[in-house]
Amino acid sequence: MKANKEIKRLFVGGLGQSISEADLQNQFSRFGEVSDVEIITRKDDKGNPQKVFAYINIKVAEADLKKCMSVLNKTKWKGGTLQIQLAKESFLHRLAQEREEAKAKKEKSTTGSTSLLEKMGVVDFHVKAVPGTEVPGHKNWVVSKFGRVLPVLHLKNQQKRKIIKYDPSKYCHNLKKVGEDFTNAIPISNLTWELEGGNDPMSKKRRGEFSDFHSPPKKTAKVQKNEGPTAPLATRPKPSGVTESPHLPKQRAAQKTPRDPIALKLPRVPDSRSPKLKNVFFQTSSLETAKNRNSMSDDDIDSEDELRLMIAREENLEKTAWSSVNESENDPFEVVRDDFKSDFHRFHTARGVGIKNKVSCLDSEDNVGNDCDSDSGDTDEIIAMKKNANEVRNSIDLSQMEKSVHKETSLKNRKICDLSENCVKVQKGKNEVEIAVSHRVKSPSCKSLADSRSSGDADSVSESIQSEGDTEYNTMMKNCLRVNLTLADLEQLAGSNQEAPKEDTESSGQEAPAKCDKASNSHRTPGGHRKGRQCIHPEEIVASLLEGKEDTHGKQKPKENNLKPKFQAFKGVGCLYGKESVKQSSKEDVAYNNVNNDHNSLKLEDPRSMSMEKCSPFANGSSSELTHFQHGKKANNSKQIQPRKRQSTFESQGHRVVSPSSSEEGSRNSSLLLQKGKKSLSLAAKTPRRSSDEGCCHRTGKSGEDSEKRPDLSIPKAPEKSAGVSSRRDTRGSKTDFPLSVTSSSDVSAKDKHAEDNQKRLAALEARQKAKEVQKKLVHNALANLDGHPEDKPTHIIFGSNSESEAEETSTQEHSHAGEEAVKESMGRASGKLFDSSDDEESVSEDDSNRFRIKPQFEGKAGQKLMDLQSHFGTDDRFRMDSRFLESDSEEEQEEINEKKTAEEEELAAEKQKALNVVQSVLHDNLISSTSKGSVAAKKFKDIIRYDPTRHDHASYERKGDDKSKESKAKRKKKREEAEKLPEVSKEMYYNIATDLKQIFQTTKDASEKKDNRPWNEDSDGEKAEEFQDPAAPMTGDEQPSGFTFSFFDSDAKDVKEETYRVETVKPGKIAWQGDPRFQDSSSEEEDDTEETDDKKPSPEEVSSPEKQTTRFFFFSKNDERLHGSDLFWRGVGSNVSRSSWEARTNNLRMDCRKKHKDAKRRVKPK
Amino acid sequence: MRPLTEEETRVMFEKIAKYIGENLQLLVDRPDGTYCFRLHNDRVYYVSEKILKLAANISGDKLVSLGTCFGKFTKTHKFRLHITALDYLAPYAKYKVWIKPGAEQSFLYGNHVLKSGLGRITENTSQYQGVVVYSMADIPLVHIV
Repeated sequence: MKANKEIKRLFVGGLGQSISEADLQNQFSRFGEVSDVEIITRKDDKGNPQKVFAYINIKVAEADLKKCMSVLNKTKWKGGTLQIQLAKESFLHRLAQEREEAKAKKEKSTTGSTSLLEKMGVVDFHVKAVPGTEVPGHKNWVVSKFGRVLPVLHLKNQQKRKIIKYDPSKYCHNLKKVGEDFTNAIPISNLTWELEGGNDPMSKKRRGEFSDFHSPPKKTAKVQKNEGPTAPLATRPKPSGVTESPHLPKQRAAQKTPRDPIALKLPRVPDSRSPKLKNVFFQTSSLETAKNRNSMSDDDIDSEDELRLMIAREENLEKTAWSSVNESENDPFEVVRDDFKSDFHRFHTARGVGIKNKVSCLDSEDNVGNDCDSDSGDTDEIIAMKKNANEVRNSIDLSQMEKSVHKETSLKNRKICDLSENCVKVQKGKNEVEIAVSHRVKSPSCKSLADSRSSGDADSVSESIQSEGDTEYNTMMKNCLRVNLTLADLEQLAGSNQEAPKEDTESSGQEAPAKCDKASNSHRTPGGHRKGRQCIHPEEIVASLLEGKEDTHGKQKPKENNLKPKFQAFKGVGCLYGKESVKQSSKEDVAYNNVNNDHNSLKLEDPRSMSMEKCSPFANGSSSELTHFQHGKKANNSKQIQPRKRQSTFESQGHRVVSPSSSEEGSRNSSLLLQKGKKSLSLAAKTPRRSSDEGCCHRTGKSGEDSEKRPDLSIPKAPEKSAGVSSRRDTRGSKTDFPLSVTSSSDVSAKDKHAEDNQKRLAALEARQKAKEVQKKLVHNALANLDGHPEDKPTHIIFGSNSESEAEETSTQEHSHAGEEAVKESMGRASGKLFDSSDDEESVSEDDSNRFRIKPQFEGKAGQKLMDLQSHFGTDDRFRMDSRFLESDSEEEQEEINEKKTAEEEELAAEKQKALNVVQSVLHDNLISSTSKGSVAAKKFKDIIRYDPTRHDHASYERKGDDKSKESKAKRKKKREEAEKLPEVSKEMYYNIATDLKQIFQTTKDASEKKDNRPWNEDSDGEKAEEFQDPAAPMTGDEQPSGFTFSFFDSDAKDVKEETYRVETVKPGKIAWQGDPRFQDSSSEEEDDTEETDDKKPSPEEVSSPEKQTTRFFFFSKNDERLHGSDLFWRGVGSNVSRSSWEARTNNLRMDCRKKHKDAKRRVKPK
Repeated sequence: MRPLTEEETRVMFEKIAKYIGENLQLLVDRPDGTYCFRLHNDRVYYVSEKILKLAANISGDKLVSLGTCFGKFTKTHKFRLHITALDYLAPYAKYKVWIKPGAEQSFLYGNHVLKSGLGRITENTSQYQGVVVYSMADIPLVHIV
């Protein structure tokens, strides 16, 4: 039964809300072991439980399960109907299970995959199989196109309902193999912390695994190196070489990993060898095989020989030649390059020595002794460096990529360094250095460590080493492309070095350590340099602040960043060291270890820090490690001060040398100059020269490195940065050096530096501002002077003393320099020149000053006018024009303004006028009466205005009326005069009218009257009327004689009018009807009416009495139209034509009526 | 933008005078302010002095229009009235035609005014006289020759 029992997951639905897990457990425990109960309550939006269900993991047999289902399913229990179903396994459970399965599978596959395949006969299937062949024993499995066994798939097309057979043998498959080993998936919690990967250094670093404890072996190595020379130096390298040589073949045979100590051992071989090995390793990189190693060994030997040769050459030739030779050579050349590095180191040491000699170091030893010492020390250090470097590099070989990069960079750096150093050397012309180098190369072993430990020598050596280390560091950094970090690292290293000195002071007491200390001191000096230079950086400050452990931590960080790969290598080195130490020197090892321990205890509390320091040197190169160690160990304040001094001197020298040589330095100089400027601005006390010197000095030290870095990097950014850094360093270094020398403690100095840095920055900003201000002032003054000069020029005619003029001249010269003074002087000039009397001068100066003041009375436009006025009359007071003269002007001005304003309006008005003219012309063309109508329109417009007798404006209207009345009076007089004569005539007319009536009735005079009418209608213009009437008069024979007596024309008109009047009386209705339309139009004919009236008055023939005339006049003036109406009337009634036509028409009408009548009758009849 | 030349003014006034006759003078010489005609992009704008000053601030190539467009000069220097001038022509129009409401829409859609659609017409309207067409509600619709 037990076997049948399986863990099932049951879904129990329809539970009551009050159900608890315990209840369920009890309920189901009847059927099996309830392992887990999970009650889930579904709630609606408002939180009211809607349904409750549970999942139960139960270990139950199949039968029990069925029983359970049948018993409990759909039963009521605790307020709910149970509903039991088998549920899927919980997700987590399934996942775990799957993983387990997968694991098991994997194990199976790994262990028995081959066997399985063999079993299935598929072992060779990949080889044999032709695509499309079925896998025996497996249905639908086919060998696909590329030899993999894949299943034949039957895919259903969703849209077409068609099942497609996918035969992998016929298609290029895109199948992805899902990773089998997701069971190996690292738990999420570990994901971020553990990086999978191999054992290679990169991955280790990535994982954050660093070899912490490399320091002791290194120390031992160092100690060995250091102390080795004290004992038999010569023996030491040799045995190492011997030991290494056997090791090497072994390693080669075994083809051990690059970490193998073999590489480390190799470097132990004399200095020349070690660099060579390094080079070889670098070049070979990942592809290094046993052959390479063999060749490397050969190369090593060769390289040694070559190195010696090279050294000899060096003695004779300049370093440039070396570099060329080295370059010319191939692999060995590369080795040579490494040697060159060593050479460089030597050079550095030599340099340092030379510097020491020149500077007259504090050391009491002679130059020669120093040289020798330095040589020995250098050699020892170099050896150590080489060893370290070699080891490091060998270890690094594993990480070939990095190595290759390192190689390139290092090579470049070396070359550059060589060149620069060569140049320096050449310039210095130090034979001693070269000799020392040669000595070193020739007999590194022979040199006594004790000699080397002479402090001065050690210092020099350390400096050189440090410089090398720095260069290497830089190169490394460059390789990493983290220039900034490298700088920071360097700074941190410097900080560590600084820390070391403190401890060193303690350690100095011991002899063995003392040696190391000395060496370290020597190293330290560079460290001091670095400090001086780099302390400026905030990182450095931080490093300095973090002392001891913190320092180490700080170092570790940068190291980790940049030197992680190196760390691994370092580990290897450490191992190697350990091995070496064990193998090589059994005696010394113990002592060394002791010494190392002592060193550790004395120097640094933390081995870590040591290791860190070592690591950092590793990164830089083994040499750097040594130096760092020493730095860390040794630190005497006095020594520090000394190195600093040396630095300054050295730097100054180097600067001198470098400045002429390289353009880069020139750029640096420029930057330095800028900085100098800043400094000068900020620090008034400092003379520019001094600042420049300081800058140069500091610069040189770093510039050398920078220059080396620059060419190495070949990246534009890097050089810029370096330049910037160098400049900063220089400035800071200069600043720091002085204050630091005063301050004994490095920490304080560092802090001070930090503070100083900030202050400097602020000061620099201020200085810039000041400079700007000064520039502004200068410009200002210059301009002012320019302005002032013309004033002064007239004063150039000098009657006064010569001294003043001289002073003026000097002032002019000074103008460029100090504007303010110039101004003052110019003022003085102005005062001094024309007249000797001081009063006059003052007045003149006042005048000058006043002349260009804006005088209040000249402000504004009025002022301008006044100016103009005055300018017309000269400046003589007697004729000076006051503002009194301006008053009229102001009015004019206003007028002008108004004119200006109106100008536009005028333009518009003119335009309007034009338009109006055009309108006139246009209207003329279109309508004859348009002109008069225009006036009418105007009149209309005026009419709209209400006449107000009280207003004067409206007097015009009154006037018009008056004029009319006057005119009318005048006319009346005339009329009266005429009228006096007229009355008789009027009577006659009366009669005439009667006759006319008769005629009308008789229709005898119709024709004549018609003719009269026609002209009259057209005679709105008097002249025309005359013309027309002239012919008309003769026609009407009766009337003409009557009117002829007085005036030819008037009589006719009179007659006509009389007639019309009569007519009107006769048929008023018709007249009114016809007259109306004309009436409105004829308003314009008023004038004509008056004329007509005039005409009528003189007419003697008129019978109408003066009374009648007046009435007529009044009548006519009002109703001119009636005349027309009468005409029309006449036309209609009086004309024969019309009558005849009317008769004809009536006849026609009658006829029509009759016809129609008849037609209608006819129509009616038939109907 | 420039004032009209003599010839242009003449041509334009002749055209306008067809509709408003001597009332043209009222357009040119307005009692309520100075108005003038300006030519811009071959179009004639009737502008008040105020707007003219404002428009002077705008460069010619950027100026789209100002005031009221009265019409445009064709390439052959004839003048075509635009409908925008209706606002100024309608009040002064001498001859008017009123259209019955039923014919109004048809007319506005471009059809002719049939005799049946003619509601009123100014007397003495001669042939080829420029008229302004009104709806019976005295809303000016169009000016037609």
